[in-house]
Amino acid sequence: MSSAGTLLPRTRLGMYGLAAGAAALACLPLIAPPYYIELGTTALIAAMLALSLQLLVGCTGLVSLGHGAFYGLAAYTVYLVTPANGALPVWLTLPAAVLAAALASLVVGALSLRTKGFFFLMVTLAFGQMIFFLFHDTKIGGGTDGAFLAKPVLAAFGYELSLPRRQRPLIAYYVSLALLVAMYTGLALLLRSLFGRVLEGIRINEHRMQALGYDTYRYKLAAFALAGILAGVAGHMWAMHRGFVNPELVGWHRSAEALLMILLGGLTTLHGPIIGALAYVGVLREVASLWFPERTLLVEGLVILAIVLLLPRGLTGLSRHRLERKSEPHKAGADD
Amino acid sequence: MTDPRPTTAPVLASDGLTRNFGGLAAVRDVSIALHRRELHAVIGPNGAGKSTLVNLLSGELAPTAGRINLMGRDVAGEPSWRMAHLGIGRSFQRTNLLGPASVLENVRLGIQARHAQASGLFRSAGKARDLIDRADAVLARIGLAGVRDQIAGTLSHGHQRQLEIAMAIAGTPQVLLLDEPMAGIGPEESERMLLLLKSLAQDHAVLLIEHDMDFVFAVADWMTVMVDGAVLADGKPETIRANVAVQSAYLGGAA
Repeated sequence: MSSAGTLLPRTRLGMYGLAAGAAALACLPLIAPPYYIELGTTALIAAMLALSLQLLVGCTGLVSLGHGAFYGLAAYTVYLVTPANGALPVWLTLPAAVLAAALASLVVGALSLRTKGFFFLMVTLAFGQMIFFLFHDTKIGGGTDGAFLAKPVLAAFGYELSLPRRQRPLIAYYVSLALLVAMYTGLALLLRSLFGRVLEGIRINEHRMQALGYDTYRYKLAAFALAGILAGVAGHMWAMHRGFVNPELVGWHRSAEALLMILLGGLTTLHGPIIGALAYVGVLREVASLWFPERTLLVEGLVILAIVLLLPRGLTGLSRHRLERKSEPHKAGADD
Repeated sequence: MTDPRPTTAPVLASDGLTRNFGGLAAVRDVSIALHRRELHAVIGPNGAGKSTLVNLLSGELAPTAGRINLMGRDVAGEPSWRMAHLGIGRSFQRTNLLGPASVLENVRLGIQARHAQASGLFRSAGKARDLIDRADAVLARIGLAGVRDQIAGTLSHGHQRQLEIAMAIAGTPQVLLLDEPMAGIGPEESERMLLLLKSLAQDHAVLLIEHDMDFVFAVADWMTVMVDGAVLADGKPETIRANVAVQSAYLGGAA
């Protein structure tokens, strides 16, 4: 608590908790039927997207509504570079998807970061929708219906078909989990670095950072592009996992959902968005559509509203408060 | 009428500096020269344009007209972050810190801004000994070593004002622009601040904005009086004190 890096666990206990959570996710397929493994993969990919957005929202203080566009663009890139009746290996599709996301986020970031606050939100939304309509209104990606990829997963993980049918979903699940853990670890290291401290300073007080000598535009652009690249990794994984792309992947809805997951899990921690994504995709959306098939969105909305009102720091705020009260009773509330 | 100045070239000099806000000229044709090892006080009634002048010199505002020369280089219109790189450090009239970060981190970031290599940006901040040691040295000089690990936002007002100055000198500037560093602090702390300012003037060109006239006359080497955005008088403290126009415009009213 004494210095920055406040989005990371502050105690050893907190780090053990995260490791235990990752271990529990790794053990899940041992007990879960294939349907839930598929659902788990979907949730892990959503967690990657939310985590990549957290680099902007929670770390740098930039709320973007165009983030989903880079995710969808990467997924479409996999489709576009893959020949119609063949398949490409992952070491070709991943760099292509990441490059597309990187270029798009650099251009969008360079222009939208000239604005701030509400205007930034609107400009990112506008750019995101431009990319959405590129795929929605033209035939380059199958139009509104979307398009199937030629045996994508086969190419990515060539030996999958040699597995018994029951075990096939395992590969996408574990690859997604490994990517998520790697992404979290990488971002945690980034936040601890000199670069990460500058991002944190920008979130706290950009004006003062400029007076100290930081060209904050360049730092924000770097963060924006990096977040776009990470969203691209998630989008690539989605295309691999589903073998299908449609304009829905690119629309602003995707960005709003990712923001919701951050809000749900907690804005003030790096792992909050992961918990928010798992809770949203893996539990809330599933339970709502199972128990209230005709009122799914209403139930989802009410639950999210209740959580945001009752737990302003999100789901992670709950455990964090308790832990801190136990370990540092004299400092309670000092970070307000 | 004009007092003799040091023969060396000024570190920072403005020439005909003007800034309009709509129809209002907040700063009009101001020419001012700051010299090394000199504490240069700018005084004047509220609304005289003192803070606007600091914002122009620090790059926060772009001038409507006029030139700013920093160590032989025309820097008018440069953004504030570049001014900081070129050697200008400033404090703010209204305390402007990174509230949720520690005192050390506030200063360390100021040092990092100017002294960290771009190639080393991805090393761990907690292990950047070079930056941390320099930050500790700054804190020791300013008298904040004892609150090093506290959260900046929880400091007492006096300590926050000191931290403002610590952040201003963190990037080892040649020029220090201090906008009312004493605002709202008590007599005991202002005694300490007086010693601090005198020590800072030993190795910086200091521009000080301050309302307390006793304090200003005790500490300033040179003074500029501003009224309605323009320079009314410029000279040594004793010359300013004797200036009839200044007395009627400002000092008389204040006394």
